[in-house]
Amino acid sequence: MVRRVLALTSGRIAVAVLAVIALLAVLGPALAPQDPLATGDSPLAGFSAGHWLGTDHLGRDVFSRLLDGSRVSVLGSLEVALTALVVGVVPGILSVYLGRAFEWITLRVVDTLVALPFLLFAVAVIALLGNGITQAMLVTGVLVSPLFYRVSRAATLVVARSPYVEAALVSGASVGWIVRHHVWAKVLPPIAVALAQTIGTGFVIVSSLTFLGIGVQPPEPTWGGLLASDLGYLDQRPWAPLLPALLITVTVWACNLLADAIRDVSGEAGRALADERRAGRRRSEPTPAGGTR
Amino acid sequence: MTTGSPTDSPAGTPAGGPVPPADVPGRAPAVPVLAVTGLDVHHGRRRRRRPVLHGVSLTVAPGETLGLIGETGSGKTTLARAVLGLVRPSAGSITLAGEEVSTHGARQWRALRRRGIVQYVFQDPLRSLDPDLTVERSLAEPLLVGGVPRAEAATRIRAVLARVRLEEDLLGRVPGELSGGQRQRAAVARALVTEPRLVILDEPVSALDSAHRVQILRILKELRAAGVALLFISHDLGSVAGSADRIAVLHRGELVESGTARDVITRPRHPYTRLLVGSAPTLRGAPADRAARDALRALLPA
Repeated sequence: MVRRVLALTSGRIAVAVLAVIALLAVLGPALAPQDPLATGDSPLAGFSAGHWLGTDHLGRDVFSRLLDGSRVSVLGSLEVALTALVVGVVPGILSVYLGRAFEWITLRVVDTLVALPFLLFAVAVIALLGNGITQAMLVTGVLVSPLFYRVSRAATLVVARSPYVEAALVSGASVGWIVRHHVWAKVLPPIAVALAQTIGTGFVIVSSLTFLGIGVQPPEPTWGGLLASDLGYLDQRPWAPLLPALLITVTVWACNLLADAIRDVSGEAGRALADERRAGRRRSEPTPAGGTR
Repeated sequence: MTTGSPTDSPAGTPAGGPVPPADVPGRAPAVPVLAVTGLDVHHGRRRRRRPVLHGVSLTVAPGETLGLIGETGSGKTTLARAVLGLVRPSAGSITLAGEEVSTHGARQWRALRRRGIVQYVFQDPLRSLDPDLTVERSLAEPLLVGGVPRAEAATRIRAVLARVRLEEDLLGRVPGELSGGQRQRAAVARALVTEPRLVILDEPVSALDSAHRVQILRILKELRAAGVALLFISHDLGSVAGSADRIAVLHRGELVESGTARDVITRPRHPYTRLLVGSAPTLRGAPADRAARDALRALLPA
C-alpha cells in the first residue's frame, strides 16, 4: 500500500510534508539556534540575522520557539491517534465475532463516548489531574476512538459476510485465522485513512488546548501558545501569527491529503487500479504460447 | 454408485428414524456420505420466523452424484448451508460420513471441517476466493488450516491443478486476474485439495459460458469416476441431467420428487417437476407449449 500511495502525486506531497514535520519534532529542539526560553532585550524585533523570524514580546527567538514547540504538537497528536486506534480497533473487530452481548455493550459505550464533548472533557481532566498534555491527550484519544470502532467494525462486517470467509469457515478456520488472513488486510486501509485523519484532528486539538494555555505550563513553547501570544501584538507584528498558523494548517492539510491518498489506492477502486497496472505490465511483456483463458 | 435409491422421501412421507443407506446388491450396505432426515430450517427470529425447508430427507451414497434442482428461493442453498453447519436446523438430523452433526457445537464443527471430508463450491467463484490472496494461498488454506505442512500443501496443490486443468503459472495471480472459467476451476480445485468424500456444488456452471460449462461438467464427471460423491445444486435441469445419477426436486422448501435422473426426466410425477422438464429449452425445438405450462402451474400449490 505504501508503494501505491507514493505512486500518487498527492501521496508523495503529503508524505514529504509530514516527514519534514516529523524531523522537526525529532531534531527541532537540537536545531534551535538559541535557547527558546531565554528572554532578550529587543522585544518584538523584526527579521534579522540574529533572529531569523524576529522576537516575541519578551525578546525570545521566535524561530527557536517554533522548532522547540513542534515536539509537543506532534507527540500530542500522535498520542491522540494511537490511543484512539488501540481503544477503538480491537473491540470494533471483535464486536463482529464475540457474540451479541459484547456487541451490544461496546455499541452502547461508543454511543456514550460520542455524546461527550472531547475538548471540554480534556479541560475537565486537566482541571482534575493537573496541567499536563499527556493525560489530556489520552482522554481525548479515548473520546475520539468511536471513529476507529465504527470504521473497523463496518469493514469487518463486510468481510465477515463475504463468501471467502464462509469458505474459510467451511475449511475449519478459526476466528483468529480468519482475522489474520482475511479481515486484517481489508480493515487496514480504512483504519489507515482514519489514523491519518485523526492525527490531523489531534493537531487541531493540541493546538486549541495550548492556544487556551491548557496542558502545557508556560513558558514552554507550543505552536498554539505562540499563536495566542502573537495575537496580542498584531499592531507591532501583524504577520507574526501567520507562522504558527501556517505550520498547524499545513500539517493538518498534509494529514488529510494522506488520508485521501490512502483511500484512493485502497478498496475496490484501488484494487482495480492495481489490476489495471499489473495487466498493463503483463501486456508489455512477451506472452508465452499456449495460454488458456 | 447407486441409482434409484428409495431413501429421498418427498415431504409428507413419514421419515421416522435414520435413513437406511443406499444398498448395493451382494455387498454390505454402504454408509451414505450424507444422510438428511426430516430437516426443517427456519429463517428469522420470533415474529419474523418463517420456514425455509420442511421435512427434507435425502441421502448421497459414496461416489454418487445427486442433482438437487429447484427454482430460486426453493431452499437449495439453505439445504447446503445446513449440511455444512452454516445454518442451524430447527428439526431433523444430518449425518456426514456416519457422524451425526445437526447437534454439533462450533468446536465440533471446526474439528469435523478440518478433516476436509466435505467441501463446498460457492455460487460465485469471484467472491468465494479472497480478492487479495493469490490462487496458491487460497488453495493452500484448507490444507494449512487442517495442519498439513507447507511443503506437502504445495505438492498437493500442484497435483489438484492438473485435475482441474489449470496451469501452474496461475498460482501467483489474484482472482481478479483470472477469467470466469479459470476462477471456477480454481474454486473447484480449492474444494478438491483436501480430497473430500463429498463436494457440494452450488450452481457451479450457471455463471459460465457454454465452453467453460462443458469443461466444468467434464471435470465433475471425472470426479464421479474417481469416487467422489457430489451434491450438484442447480436451477437448471439441463446442466444436472447429464451429470447426476439421481435427481431430487425441491419446491418451496419441500422435496417433491426424487428418483433416477432418467425417471425424473422421462416420467416426472409431480406437476412442478413436469413444469421444470417442460420448460427446459432444447435445440430441437421449443419447450412445452405455453398452455401446457400454464395448466401445470395451476396445479401447483400457491
